[in-house]
Amino acid sequence: MLRIENLTKAYGEKKAVDDLSLNIRSGEIYGFIGHNGAGKTTTLKCVAGILGYDAGEILIDGMSVKDQPVKCKSALAYIPDNPDLYDFMSGIKYLNFVADIFGVSAQDRQERIRRYGDLFELTSDLAQPISAYSHGMKQKLAIIAAWLHSPKLIIMDEPFVGLDPKASHLLKEMMRELCDNGGAIFFSTHVLEVAEKLCDKVAIIKQGRLIKSGTMEEVKGDDSLEEVFLELEAE
Amino acid sequence: MLKVLLKKQISEAFRNLFFDAKNNRLRTKGRLILWVAFFIFLSVGVLGGMFTFLAISLCGGLASVNMGWLYFVLMGGIAIVFGSFGSVFNTYSSLYLPKDNDLLLSMPIPARVIVISRLLNVYLLGAMYSALVLLPTMIVYWVTVGATAANIICGLLFFLIISVIVLVLSCLLGWVVARISLKLKNKSFVIVLISLLFVILYYYVYFKANELIRELIANAAVYGAEIKGSAYGVYLFGRVGEGDLPATAIFTAAAVLILVLMMLVLSRGFLKLATASGSVKKVRYTEKRAKLRTAFGALLAKEFAAFTSNPMYMLNCGLGTLLLPALGIYLLASGSSVPAILNMLLPDKPGCGALLLCTALMMLSTANNSAAPSISLEGKSIWIPQSLPVDAKTVLRAKAAVQLLLTEIPMLFAVICAAIALRMPLAETLLLCLVPLVYSAFSAMFCLFLGVRYPMLQWTSVMAAVKQGAAVAIALFGGWGVTALFAVPYLLFGYQLGLSLYLAIWAVVLAAAAVLLYRWLMTKGAAAFSRL
Repeated sequence: MLRIENLTKAYGEKKAVDDLSLNIRSGEIYGFIGHNGAGKTTTLKCVAGILGYDAGEILIDGMSVKDQPVKCKSALAYIPDNPDLYDFMSGIKYLNFVADIFGVSAQDRQERIRRYGDLFELTSDLAQPISAYSHGMKQKLAIIAAWLHSPKLIIMDEPFVGLDPKASHLLKEMMRELCDNGGAIFFSTHVLEVAEKLCDKVAIIKQGRLIKSGTMEEVKGDDSLEEVFLELEAE
Repeated sequence: MLKVLLKKQISEAFRNLFFDAKNNRLRTKGRLILWVAFFIFLSVGVLGGMFTFLAISLCGGLASVNMGWLYFVLMGGIAIVFGSFGSVFNTYSSLYLPKDNDLLLSMPIPARVIVISRLLNVYLLGAMYSALVLLPTMIVYWVTVGATAANIICGLLFFLIISVIVLVLSCLLGWVVARISLKLKNKSFVIVLISLLFVILYYYVYFKANELIRELIANAAVYGAEIKGSAYGVYLFGRVGEGDLPATAIFTAAAVLILVLMMLVLSRGFLKLATASGSVKKVRYTEKRAKLRTAFGALLAKEFAAFTSNPMYMLNCGLGTLLLPALGIYLLASGSSVPAILNMLLPDKPGCGALLLCTALMMLSTANNSAAPSISLEGKSIWIPQSLPVDAKTVLRAKAAVQLLLTEIPMLFAVICAAIALRMPLAETLLLCLVPLVYSAFSAMFCLFLGVRYPMLQWTSVMAAVKQGAAVAIALFGGWGVTALFAVPYLLFGYQLGLSLYLAIWAVVLAAAAVLLYRWLMTKGAAAFSRL
């Protein structure tokens, strides 16, 4: 579903991502961990087509993000680490805006907005301006918007930040459901317990370079993910 | 603590001057010098020149009859009106709307310290506006009457006193706007309407002031005696500029007192206003079948929503939408008298009336520049258009379309009215209609070009994106520059070509420039937007 080959991205002299390669298959929840400034957000933004890159290739369903950005973006959804949405819109207007861009039919969008809105207990607030939303409500709205067009691949940057326990639980269920239906999820997190329980595979990045990746068992063995992560960080 | 906040406030106010947002780094020395020179040219060259001309026309006459004080009263009054009305909305957004209000209020900083740091921003802008009037005022006076130690010191204090008056008036009006906004949250059009009333009042006062000034000069001795008799304070105020030390001491003390009082009042009310969210009723969502739109339609609707939700945006970048039909109606109502008067101004330059009317339409069109700040206004939400499956060209087209729709429709109405009023031969009439329409298209492309070239995505107050960005400043002054370039050559030598040929040449030039800019936007501009 997502293949990252020798990705390199520099900001001036500094390499934020250095020769990174990953392969994420359909049905996989792939966790991406690393300390602050390790290059996680840069990688995710490159995959989402927000940032260009200096070398390497990113393929989504076999299509290059560089050569066919619009087609690639049609297949994915991106949720940033901070849900800066259009404050001048109401929640429902934002969802309809996203649905229009993705060409979601009236029936599908109505059904999905109702379903996810009710799940996240946001339906009654959809007519409110986004400027009146709390951080958690904005995060819920960003999640609903991401699921609105039934993407094959979802890229998420710290998706659990700001969510209440119930919403976090719901999100985990939705992530699993999407992957069970043939989708894939690539997300960054600092919550290692969540990554350990939820992810099929995990990659650890340090100073832009991939230092370990594979299935959860391959990466952590008999230790906890936290122990492995701290050990690798100390090296 | 205050020093840190002041440093933050100043660096924010002048960030755009020193920081290249496009390349995410500080400007090089050479570029910084160019930027500073450009802003000096705009402020000193254009506005300063206008006030210098006014000062020269007033100073000699009044000073020769020993009424220099009246000269300072008049110019001081203009500086106060210009400074305070110019910074009302800046005061409102700088004091009560910045995004870092919550952050600063959560820190152990007394409200008065936050107020002082915010006020500095307001003060600088107000002082800058009033300096544009007062610097020529004083220099012209010193050159005409002669500079002495007393009139130089008092002149500088006169400037400081006026800058404090401007600050106080700006804060007072900004507070009124803040109160109104609290009551009318999300009712942008009402705010725009109220603001427009302010603008109309401003221009009414401005035009009446011109009349009054003429009348005052004609009967300076009579009015001077009357002012001295019935409003001695006003006389004393004018004496400050002339170098009267006791008058200067009185007004300096009064200015300090007012400043302290205002600080106390603002500190008390700041917390309440800065944290208030207004008493807006919660709207409950009821499910409705959505109206489907194409990607372009959705982007266009989003741009219009951004425009109509923000009164600052509408006022600063959409006033032409109202002014153009207003001029059209005025032309219809006044019949052929306006073009006839314009023709009489330069009887030896045939067609100058039509040309000046065309210039006026283009000038009003320049008041619409919504595309210029539209990229900056994306701010931290820029990830949305960049991550959605829509190419940058479509995003840019939607931004340009908003300005085109806001301008071309009222412009069409205005040119039809102008054509009816002018009653010229068919070819000239058609060209007269065509040039402003083509200019509006060029203007939309030019504004968007500037928006892409000079984006400012990091801001804490939306005002910074709408008013303080380089794109907006260049769009406004550049637009005026183009209209001047259109009108002046005709009046100098272009009339020899004949109106039709001159207009036809300009229609072709403007259309070609618009096409070139559009091509740039669809290629390099789209690539630049994707990289932001």
